[in-house]
Amino acid sequence: MAASATTPPRGTGRKGPGAARSAFTLLLALTLLAVALLASVTHGSLPTSFRAVWDVLRGQGDPYITTVVESRYPRTLLGLVAGASLAVAGTLMQGVTRNPLAEPGLLGVTAGASASIVTASAYLGVSGQLATLWWSLPGALLAGLVVYAVGTRGGGSGTVRLVLAGAVLSAILMAYVQAVTLSRPQVFDGYRYWVVGSLGGRGFDVLWAVLPLAGGALAVALLLGGALNTVALGDDPAAALGAKPARTKAVGLLAATVLGAAATAAVGPVAFVGLAVPHVVRALVGADFRRQLVFSALLGPALLLCADVVGRLVLRPQELMVGVVTAFVGAPALLVAVRRMKRTA
Amino acid sequence: MTAAAPAGKRLVRVAPGLAFPVRVRSLSIGALLLVLLAVASVATLTLGRLGVALADLPSALTGGAQGKDAFVIKRLRGPRLVTAMAVGAAFGLSGALFQSVTRNPLGSPDVIGLGAGAGAGAAMTALLFPGVLPVPVGAVLGAALAMTVVYLATGAGFRSPGRLVVAGIGVAAIANALIEYVVYAVERDRASVLKAYVNGSLNASSWDDALTAATALLVALPVCLFLFRDLAVVEMGDETAEALGAAPARTKTLAVLLSIGLSGAAVAAAGPIAFLALCGPQIARRLTNASGPHLALSALTGAVLLPLADLAAQQLPLFDDLPVGIYTMALGGAYLAYLLVHEWRRGTL
Repeated sequence: MAASATTPPRGTGRKGPGAARSAFTLLLALTLLAVALLASVTHGSLPTSFRAVWDVLRGQGDPYITTVVESRYPRTLLGLVAGASLAVAGTLMQGVTRNPLAEPGLLGVTAGASASIVTASAYLGVSGQLATLWWSLPGALLAGLVVYAVGTRGGGSGTVRLVLAGAVLSAILMAYVQAVTLSRPQVFDGYRYWVVGSLGGRGFDVLWAVLPLAGGALAVALLLGGALNTVALGDDPAAALGAKPARTKAVGLLAATVLGAAATAAVGPVAFVGLAVPHVVRALVGADFRRQLVFSALLGPALLLCADVVGRLVLRPQELMVGVVTAFVGAPALLVAVRRMKRTA
Repeated sequence: MTAAAPAGKRLVRVAPGLAFPVRVRSLSIGALLLVLLAVASVATLTLGRLGVALADLPSALTGGAQGKDAFVIKRLRGPRLVTAMAVGAAFGLSGALFQSVTRNPLGSPDVIGLGAGAGAGAAMTALLFPGVLPVPVGAVLGAALAMTVVYLATGAGFRSPGRLVVAGIGVAAIANALIEYVVYAVERDRASVLKAYVNGSLNASSWDDALTAATALLVALPVCLFLFRDLAVVEMGDETAEALGAAPARTKTLAVLLSIGLSGAAVAAAGPIAFLALCGPQIARRLTNASGPHLALSALTGAVLLPLADLAAQQLPLFDDLPVGIYTMALGGAYLAYLLVHEWRRGTL
């Protein structure tokens, strides 16, 4: 379970039996993601045949079907970006804090985004999808940075302190959010649609707004893999090898904060993608962080999009929001995993 | 301070063959809490537009109330105050039992999903059977279901604290998703009422609610008397406890069951009020400088904290008629912040 338990394999570029296996795993992950993307475009509240969608994709579809299918593009791409952000953020956090339960919500990004949206809506009259995004993003970032600053100040491992700092900020901000939403019905109305976590009802403008931030942080995260491998050896050996563990951890947590904030701002709070995907990925590819990060970026969106498709199908023509579906998929997986824990852990 | 010294203890005989060692400091803290409780009670009954005038209070309480005062004491604030005390005591005792078993200062039944399960039960009742099944019944069923799932998921019953917490995270996630979904799906006014209930509220407390929580406390008392010595041994660790002839597994299971029962009754009376079961025992422990949670003082601390929070809910002019659970949530945040700063100074984080 713990990434630090085994020495990460170095020099994975060499040819050998491992190379064939990892190529196969990569192919599998890419196929899974492709299937999820395709499913997200072909399935929805209006049933569309695969053949009709294929015609649309080739540019020769029926105009009505074309409109329907094209309306599914923004949520599909949002799922891609948000899923990758959440999963990579989770992998970074679990790697840096060595806490197998770490996930972006621990940093207080959800509470920060909620408090910011509620404040803007209650006292400034802000409403609408894009305006909500522009308020939730700084709120989430600010909360994440405060938790990060308090949780890691003064050196030390700081893992417990990080969790505690996140819990403090979340409790206080959520008390504020509940107080405002319960005393102002209008604010409550907007908030309850946001907090459930959904890919639907958002246009390309939401995607373009978060893409630079999420893309930049994803790039930083993917480049951090080698350094994280060295840090996983432990602080002292890593320092002896000439690495700077403190800097690597700081960059990792900051990237995780930005990714978590971007995803939450774009689609609302979505549980379990950031928690579960890193575990699946570790079971698939082992302890090497370079591979873990790449596979998280592939399997996170696959999971999120599949959950979204399921949510579109179970209550057709209504929708079950993706945040609800991921909780119902992720929680049982967690309950099964509990039995593998040491009894006294 | 002679907190741990035997000189600081007195033996109090309750009956022949039944005696308790009582620390002097615990007694003085207990007395202090009782005074605080009396002040909070008087303030609850006298403050505000509907308050009974302080001079009329003694006669009003002894049955001489008339008109508005009688209504306030018998229907409005009287039941609300007594419910707050009983529910607070039940949550405090519940948390103390749970923390004693798990030896985790951040443990309580709501951490393993009881509050979230109760909220989800209430939400599903309101969505599926509106008007047929009372919402508190749904809450208790939800809490029971959540605890059953946690029990089955750990594979080791309630004896493994680590697994309990992780299983609780999973169950709470499903429960919260259900709550958010129902709040999303129903129309705004019903959603708002539901959300207030899910936070835990004393706004509509009746004598029945007070009776529910008080009955749970009365049932719990003899079991606590039976358990408390074994619990003290269990806190030393499983090996030590077994070596001393205790049965740690049975004690732990019994204590967690009792803890869940108390929280369940409190939820039935006032809804899932956040953080009280977590903070009550910890505040009591820090007041007395004890090594582990003190059952009686934890209950008393809970019985003081909830009326105080409810006093804030009634009299603070910030927002009108907020559920008391929001104030206890803020209290929980403050407690965690204190913990953060305190442990940081001591260098244990």
